[in-house]
Amino acid sequence: MYERSALYQRNSIFIQAAETMLTKFETKSARVKGLSFHPKRPWILASLHNGVIQLWDYRMCTLIDKFDEHDGPVRGIDFHKQQPLFVSGGDDYKIKVWNYKLRRCLFTLLGHLDYIRTTFFHHEYPWILSASDDQTIRIWNWQSRTCVCVLTGHNHYVMCAQFHPSEDLVVSASLDQTVRVWDISGLRKKNLSPGSMETEVRGISGVDLFGASDAVVKHVLEGHDRGVNWAAFHPSMPLIVSGADDRQVKIWRMNESKAWELDTCRGHYNNVSCAVFHPRQELILSNSEDKSIRVWDMSKRTGVQTFRRDHDRFWVLGAHPNLNLFAAGHDSGMLVFKLERERPAYAVYGNMLYYVKERFLRQLDFHSSKDTAVMQLRCLSGSKFPVFSMSYNPAENAVLLCTRATNLENSTYDLYSIPRDSDSQNPDAPEGKRSSGLTAVWVARNRFAVLDRMHSLLIKNLKNEIVKKVAVPSCEEIFYAGTGSLLLRDADGVTLFDVQQKRSLATVKITKVKYVVWSADTSHVALLAKHAIMICNRKLESLCNIHENIRVKSGAWDESGVFIYTTSNHIKYALTSGDHGIIRTLDLPIYVTRVRGNSVYCLDRECRPRVLTIDPTEYRFKLALVNRKYEEVLHMVRNAKLVGQSIIAYLQKKGYPEVALHCVSKMRSVCVSAWLCVCGNMCVALEAAKALDERGCWERLGEAALLQGHHQVVEMCYQRTKNFDKLTFLYLITGNLAKLRKMMKIAEIRKDMSGHYQGALYLGDVSERVRILKSCGQKSLAYLTAATHGMDEEAEALKETFDPEKETVPDIDPDAQLLQPPPPINPLDTNWPLLTVSKGFFEGAISAKGKAGQMAADLDMDAPGGEGWGEDAELQLDEDGFMDAQDGVGEEGAMGKEEGGGWEVEEDLDLPPELELPAGAGGGAEDGFFVPPTKGVSPTQMWCNNSQLPVDHILAGSLETAMRLLHDQVGVVQFSPYKPLFMQTLSRGRTCYLGLPSLPCLRGHPQRNWKEAGAKQGVPAVGLRLSDLIARLQQCYQLTTAGRFEDAVERFRVILLSVPLLVVDNKQEIAEAQQLITICREYIVGLTMETERKKLPKDTLEQQKRLCEMAAYFTHCSLQPVHMVLVLRTALNLFFKLRNFKTAAGFARRLLELGPKPEVAQQTRKILAACEKTLTDAHQLNYDPHNPFDLCAASFTPLYRGRPVEKCPLSGACYCPTYKGQVCRVTQVTEIGKDVIGLRVSPLQFR
Amino acid sequence: MASQQTEIDELFDVKNAYYIGSYQQCINEAQKVKPSSPDKVTERDMFLYRAYIAQRKYGVVMDDIKSSSSAELQAVKMFAEYLSNEGKRDTIVADLDKKMAKSVDVANTTFLLMAASIYFHEMNTDAALRTLHQGESLECMAMTIQVLLKLDRVDLARKELKKMQEQDEDATLTQLATAWVNLAVGGEKLQDAYYIFQEMSDKYSSTLLLLNGQGACHMAQNKWEEAEGVLQEALDKDSGHPETLINLIVLTQHLGKAPEVTNRYMSQLKDAHKAHPFLKEYFAKENEFDRLAMQYAPSA
Repeated sequence: MYERSALYQRNSIFIQAAETMLTKFETKSARVKGLSFHPKRPWILASLHNGVIQLWDYRMCTLIDKFDEHDGPVRGIDFHKQQPLFVSGGDDYKIKVWNYKLRRCLFTLLGHLDYIRTTFFHHEYPWILSASDDQTIRIWNWQSRTCVCVLTGHNHYVMCAQFHPSEDLVVSASLDQTVRVWDISGLRKKNLSPGSMETEVRGISGVDLFGASDAVVKHVLEGHDRGVNWAAFHPSMPLIVSGADDRQVKIWRMNESKAWELDTCRGHYNNVSCAVFHPRQELILSNSEDKSIRVWDMSKRTGVQTFRRDHDRFWVLGAHPNLNLFAAGHDSGMLVFKLERERPAYAVYGNMLYYVKERFLRQLDFHSSKDTAVMQLRCLSGSKFPVFSMSYNPAENAVLLCTRATNLENSTYDLYSIPRDSDSQNPDAPEGKRSSGLTAVWVARNRFAVLDRMHSLLIKNLKNEIVKKVAVPSCEEIFYAGTGSLLLRDADGVTLFDVQQKRSLATVKITKVKYVVWSADTSHVALLAKHAIMICNRKLESLCNIHENIRVKSGAWDESGVFIYTTSNHIKYALTSGDHGIIRTLDLPIYVTRVRGNSVYCLDRECRPRVLTIDPTEYRFKLALVNRKYEEVLHMVRNAKLVGQSIIAYLQKKGYPEVALHCVSKMRSVCVSAWLCVCGNMCVALEAAKALDERGCWERLGEAALLQGHHQVVEMCYQRTKNFDKLTFLYLITGNLAKLRKMMKIAEIRKDMSGHYQGALYLGDVSERVRILKSCGQKSLAYLTAATHGMDEEAEALKETFDPEKETVPDIDPDAQLLQPPPPINPLDTNWPLLTVSKGFFEGAISAKGKAGQMAADLDMDAPGGEGWGEDAELQLDEDGFMDAQDGVGEEGAMGKEEGGGWEVEEDLDLPPELELPAGAGGGAEDGFFVPPTKGVSPTQMWCNNSQLPVDHILAGSLETAMRLLHDQVGVVQFSPYKPLFMQTLSRGRTCYLGLPSLPCLRGHPQRNWKEAGAKQGVPAVGLRLSDLIARLQQCYQLTTAGRFEDAVERFRVILLSVPLLVVDNKQEIAEAQQLITICREYIVGLTMETERKKLPKDTLEQQKRLCEMAAYFTHCSLQPVHMVLVLRTALNLFFKLRNFKTAAGFARRLLELGPKPEVAQQTRKILAACEKTLTDAHQLNYDPHNPFDLCAASFTPLYRGRPVEKCPLSGACYCPTYKGQVCRVTQVTEIGKDVIGLRVSPLQFR
Repeated sequence: MASQQTEIDELFDVKNAYYIGSYQQCINEAQKVKPSSPDKVTERDMFLYRAYIAQRKYGVVMDDIKSSSSAELQAVKMFAEYLSNEGKRDTIVADLDKKMAKSVDVANTTFLLMAASIYFHEMNTDAALRTLHQGESLECMAMTIQVLLKLDRVDLARKELKKMQEQDEDATLTQLATAWVNLAVGGEKLQDAYYIFQEMSDKYSSTLLLLNGQGACHMAQNKWEEAEGVLQEALDKDSGHPETLINLIVLTQHLGKAPEVTNRYMSQLKDAHKAHPFLKEYFAKENEFDRLAMQYAPSA
């Protein structure tokens, strides 16, 4: 008892919060007493108190059919699970089985003696179960159309009887206050055992010969204090729910041997008419004459939700077997509703979709289709409400999740920042920040707007603190509208609101917008209401309105600016111009997340990401037309499978008849040619008509041609359609007498008297007329004609044929006037002057292809003259508007004086405490002075302080210190070659950004350690990379190979000089930098020497010897193999010529070791062979290949080991001591033999 | 402060377009708007003419503003004259110094701004700051911040910014000033600065001012490829814009492009903007280089 009173309390609390339900569909009708969902199609049957059964499509919201054969109320109704059948039972005691495809009642089962309350099909056997006020329950076989069993035992009306979904059980509820469970396994055995005879049980006996019953009462459930109205089995558990006039819903449990009352749900305050288990959740739904539907939590036995109506008592409930749908019948109709929203909360950013599924926030990468759970949502544990909407912030990777309670005032939102790295299997569940509020959306990277329950707007920061409150006009809902803006929805419109300026920018009227979809560039927005879509531009100017009969579900913009949306059963498109249409049908609603090309990405109701394929041709075509991209249109017409009357109709309607021309080859439709005609290009139209060769087509063409004055085409059309009358008249009016005569002959052959006569009349051929009249027995007329026209002989002859007995010769009217057609003055062969038809792009395009010409040649007539065409032959293509080039910001200010002018003392100034000067800045102490602050330490100064690397000083603009460093480190004494490098480096030290207009720009200081630099530790971003220098070597090598030595030397030198301006991170790179210097040096020395050598005279032997020596030294420079091959070949040749065979042989061997090209190798071998015959040197040279030496870079003489050498401090080039103190020939900047610290290119070298 | 919160600024679009560097739009808006009071008319005209100045159409300003025009506009005219004619600058500054020596109408914010602008161009930061100190408008504060940043006084700039934020945090100028300060502070603040520029271009339109701001943020974060995108966009808008060219000179080197590419931008800059402070400084450094180089010579 105690527990129950507690329960009551809880219930009373929940009663206070009445809620609005998610109604999907509502009908108005007489009292609905029975309901049945179709298991597969979106249909529901409603049986009414007035005897009508209605079949509704609840998705399309249309009445499909009506079945009106019952007399009086129909209470029992049920769809068959597989077959196109349903069963009904009424107060006329009749059970009727209907076929909805055939739309008629198949048969009627008679037997009950009172009102029938419910009728149900068995899920497997061909049985129908009926409960009746005659206190019996009957089971019928609808195949044999007989009653197979009568269950007796209740002693009052049986209000409901249902089969168990899997076992051989029946549950029944009766006004005798009991619920009974029946065992019908006997019936099944009997019916399904082979050879069993159903006919045995024809009467009203459930007892066979041996006394065993087919159906026996298994349990009698007593507990209700009044009559029980409904009882139903649980779909999977051994539970029964019942609802009774004692206002209670009871749950019963049963096992093999017994059944007992488990619990009672109290709360209804009038008779409970129906109670059902939720097919998939632990919920019970009940409804009552107290005008409410209640939802109960099965385990807690507490009310969860209450839906109340003002005037309608509820009578029946139905649950869809697999969808989240319920139906309830009441006094004035029925409604189909859902218990919870199925729309997933989702947000799209770039290629990412974020959505809530179960208790997780998931992320789907559209590109890779990688779907990961990024975090667990704490807010959902323990909450009975799903996430209603989501707003994602890409800048902070944060998300706002709004949860809407059934009582709106209790709605909340949660702010989460998404963990960067998360384990998809077991994602983090970060702490969120929760506050109350209806909706929360981001308005900036660090701000979001909250519509609170008082319907005022709060702006909050990332810490969830209120930054400001904004008074807004009446507002029910807010939507994102780009940075700093919101869309506010009120009762009858949507307002674009600037949060910063706190003002409304624009308003558009549209009722009850539910969703808002912005295009990627936020230039357009689609406002989705229940049955309407409005597309607006950024300024909220309505571009188009689309009304849908079915619910609009979702939408997304494709990349070309077409809005793709879904209704309950279609994917559709809408252009901003308002054109819209169906793309494909859908079985179940989906929620579009993104559209790319022909893929529609969406979430289904189970929150599974899916990709559907669509054919975008139609809307692309229309888009191209609207955008006047005629090339594209033409391409599509020619290549796409774009066929269909609707397109043609569209083209015509939109004023593009000429486009239809190009559909010719594709189309087989009368209507095509009509449009062809509309466009007025007769040649092509005729072509089309020939291709189609249909009567209707010719007729239309004829009409059009006549209107246009193209009588030759008209003639052809009439010929084709064998329209002789019209053809005759055409010849008459065009004065074509020869053809007219021909027509007359044809008429004669066709035995078309009237036509023949008409022709003769037109021609003025009297004798022919007489002949016709005579031949058709109109003698008197023939006589008259002949006589009147003065054909006396003929008249006489005729007169004689008259039989005076019977016939009278008619009198000739003396005043008769002759009917003579006027003779044509000038037979018209050419067309009448044609109406001009404006010439569009397409005709131009097509004639350009030479097609029109061909077509014209095909035709047996003169092509229309060019008159009236020329002026119209201009294209309608729009030139793209040019963007107004915006003028640059004026920045002419001088940047001269560093020092401020003399201080001017202004008496009326206060010294603001904020502007306190750092200590040491003199005069600031005096009162009443504004003391300008001293100059701070600039980042460039920091750079110099923080680094001893020359490049950092150059970047900082401190040339003096940079030079000093280079001088000290690598001995630079002549800076002019460094000037370009210095100036270039200097120019990349600082960036520019504009502050206030018309003021000198501010300077940015890119730093390579910007992440950790802080205020003091910065060093500049270098912008010169070792890898880039190394890459530049290739260019130098190419120049070398090409023999452009001077250019090569110049470039090698730039690289060499750049090396001291590097900053590298590790020892290896330091070594690489040094190696780079070496490479450059070797090449510079070698190539300079080679250049020098080529300038030398070679007249005397001594001179030749010198040349040979230099060539030999060159082979001792360290070069790339490809270059070494060349150098060795030169040396080899020179030495061979000098007959220094021994040394030459040495070169040859070295050359062969390098693996030169086959032909080179072959030749070298030959020379080597020749040398080896006489392995001697003819001349003594200053060259000893076996004695290691350094080469003096100035005199190009060998400095053998052990002899004094002076080196360049940068390049390491060697020199004879006499050159000490001079500028290095290799670098051209450093002093030979200078005592220096050494190359410094990394901070590592200072540790 | 409170009054600013509630009051709707009818000139918002005009001012906003001006501050984000969308000068033509500013002019268009100014010609469209119908101010409610004579004060607003003056204010509108002030922005209109300043937008012309920013477009270097000094002639329009000097011709349009008559001697009978209001004191505010006279100040604008003075600035236009200063910028248009390099030869007359000294006299203008001297005049200005005289005016400043007398007591100044502190309510004439425009005058203060224009005077400070001139001093700023003259690199007389002390005078500029002293002038700006008398004004209380957001723009005065913003200019103060810019001067302080020029002086590398980030600490003081932040203090001034705080004042701006207290007055109206969401104002375009406050946002922009926040971005400048963030750029100077560096580190994590760079991303915030970027977002400010980015959001403004999303919300209004992308301008050279905003794009170069974004570029500077990217480059400060060593995101050279990203910077290339925005600077290219800026270059597409105006191929001769000096700040864009300067940034491209920086960028191309950091991207490791051939020196010729960099030199091309440099030549373009030299051709069109001889007087730009960057080049003045550049030439000064060249001279300095030559002078310093003379101090070194080989010993033999």
